[in-house]
Amino acid sequence: MPLIEVTNLRKSYGTKVAVDSISFSVDRAEVFGILGPNGAGKTTTMEMMEAMRTIDGGTVTIAGLDVARQPDRVRRIIGVQLQSAAFYEKVSLSESLRMFAAFYGRTVDPLKLLGDVGLAEQARLFPEKLSGGQKQRFSIATALVNRPQVLFLDEPTTGLDPQARHNMWKLIERIKAQEITIILTSHYMEEAQRLCDRLAIMDSGRIIALDSPSQMIADLIDRGFSKPALATLANLEDVYIDLTGKALRD
Amino acid sequence: MRALLLFAMVQLKHFLRDPIYLFFILVFPLVFLFIFGTIFGGSRDVNLTTALLNNSDTEFAQDFVERLKAQESQSLKILSDDLSFEDARLKMARGEIDSIIELPPGFGSVGQTAAQQGEESPAAVTQTTPPSVFLPTGQLRVYYDEGSPQAGQIVATIMTGILDQINGALMGTTPPLSVEQVSVGVNGLSQFDYIFSGLLSYVLMTMGIYALSQQLPAEKRSGSLRRIKATPFRAWQLLTGLALAYLLLTLLSAALMIGVSMVVFDFQMRGSWLVLAAFSIVSALAMIGIGALVAGVARNSNQATVASQSIAFPMMFLSGVFFPRYLMPDFLQNISSWIPLTPVGDGIRYITTEGVGLPDLLPQLFLISAWGIVAYVLAFRLFKWE
Repeated sequence: MPLIEVTNLRKSYGTKVAVDSISFSVDRAEVFGILGPNGAGKTTTMEMMEAMRTIDGGTVTIAGLDVARQPDRVRRIIGVQLQSAAFYEKVSLSESLRMFAAFYGRTVDPLKLLGDVGLAEQARLFPEKLSGGQKQRFSIATALVNRPQVLFLDEPTTGLDPQARHNMWKLIERIKAQEITIILTSHYMEEAQRLCDRLAIMDSGRIIALDSPSQMIADLIDRGFSKPALATLANLEDVYIDLTGKALRD
Repeated sequence: MRALLLFAMVQLKHFLRDPIYLFFILVFPLVFLFIFGTIFGGSRDVNLTTALLNNSDTEFAQDFVERLKAQESQSLKILSDDLSFEDARLKMARGEIDSIIELPPGFGSVGQTAAQQGEESPAAVTQTTPPSVFLPTGQLRVYYDEGSPQAGQIVATIMTGILDQINGALMGTTPPLSVEQVSVGVNGLSQFDYIFSGLLSYVLMTMGIYALSQQLPAEKRSGSLRRIKATPFRAWQLLTGLALAYLLLTLLSAALMIGVSMVVFDFQMRGSWLVLAAFSIVSALAMIGIGALVAGVARNSNQATVASQSIAFPMMFLSGVFFPRYLMPDFLQNISSWIPLTPVGDGIRYITTEGVGLPDLLPQLFLISAWGIVAYVLAFRLFKWE
């Protein structure tokens, strides 16, 4: 039985339909990607699943809990990394993490958690002192304080430099290895292809494709698609990483 | 509960480590205190400056001028440069002086003998001659600006007093009926002690309404509230935690203000500190509730600023915190007795100047709590996270 089931989910703002009756399911320990152009409804879909936004129609259940009916119980078993989140300035990372853990009635070892995302040395810093990549990793640390069953990541690598992006991918793979189900939105196809077990591609509030990345590629080739240029053995990103190295530049 | 306390702790750290917040919390009320304390503090005397124009060449007038100069003090400054009447009037129009005393030509002129002996030996004059014939006569004029009749009245009163003295001395009698002015400050309270209640109420209100209604919308914009919304922490916990943090900040601000008032302005407390603390806590919580309601409902800082200003500003002036309410017309007094800051200001004044205890403050406490409860219930229900 799937861990997450989304059935005929709808959301509209006035006359504009943001999410148009979409359905999909996600299995436990799967990494599920939602792709699509800006305004396709990715974030709205995520936020309805996270109990951040009211659901106009349809249902979302996570581990058997109806998100619309039991939002508080759902919030306890999910972790959320938002696109537009901030943390209290002048409050150290450790202090912030303790507070977030307390919201779930838990106590955490902030150093352990920060170590997991590579921020042990920054434990006493304030969030306003962090680089973009560090901020995103801290944001993920706050989303892990309650040992969630499902982790929502909304564009976790947008705006990061290639080193920070590669570093974030490794972090996401480590989280996946802990059997945590991950829902991820992204604008980077390389990222989706590397991380996601299955993908939904959205456009204008609808899901227009839903499958594993490799199957999607195979289907495209079956439809007679071929790239005009021969695939090269390396791309520019490989050149860039080769020249600048993989070490993080926070 | 632990979540709530930790959240309040984080809020406190967030403020106390930020110099800008600290300025508003600690320094701003002190600036206010020094401005009002200097205006009203220490002496309760008025400061008047008056120009003295002597157009009389009699010796009595000369002596009178000397006598007036001897009377010069902190409260009455006498400008006796040789001003023309027009110059003096111009100065008065500009507000540089408050009034003009004119000794008209011939002031104090009578029989030479009387004028010569003048005030030095009035007894001899009265003994040897009928007073009405040899005594100096004259009428001095006090000019004042139509806009500030008090200044004119005060100077006229002082002049009347001096002339009465001289008259009495000349006639060798004491008037049978007279007025003695005795000031009766209750328990020797200074004017500062009275305005102190207003300043303290002001601090409770600013910290509660202004500060919170600035902070919360800023957090809605930055996204830190959104992040908390994604956790099981609910609006009532968030607002209660904020109220707790703000209560401590308000008390800190108030304590600092009381300390400075005692050291610098010699503030005299008549009542019990415990009663004042208890009363201030209830008042501060109610004010914070109003702030939380405004800030919780407002979608952005602009809305919050407009809303909090339009609540706090009229309240400040209608509550009698700065101007006594008895100066207002009846209908305004009736309305203003119900606004939340009125019982706060009244209660603090009763405690600090009259030493009233909690049982006698029940009407005030009741009204403040009623406002507070309504504010919190609405704030919990209407709170918007973003």
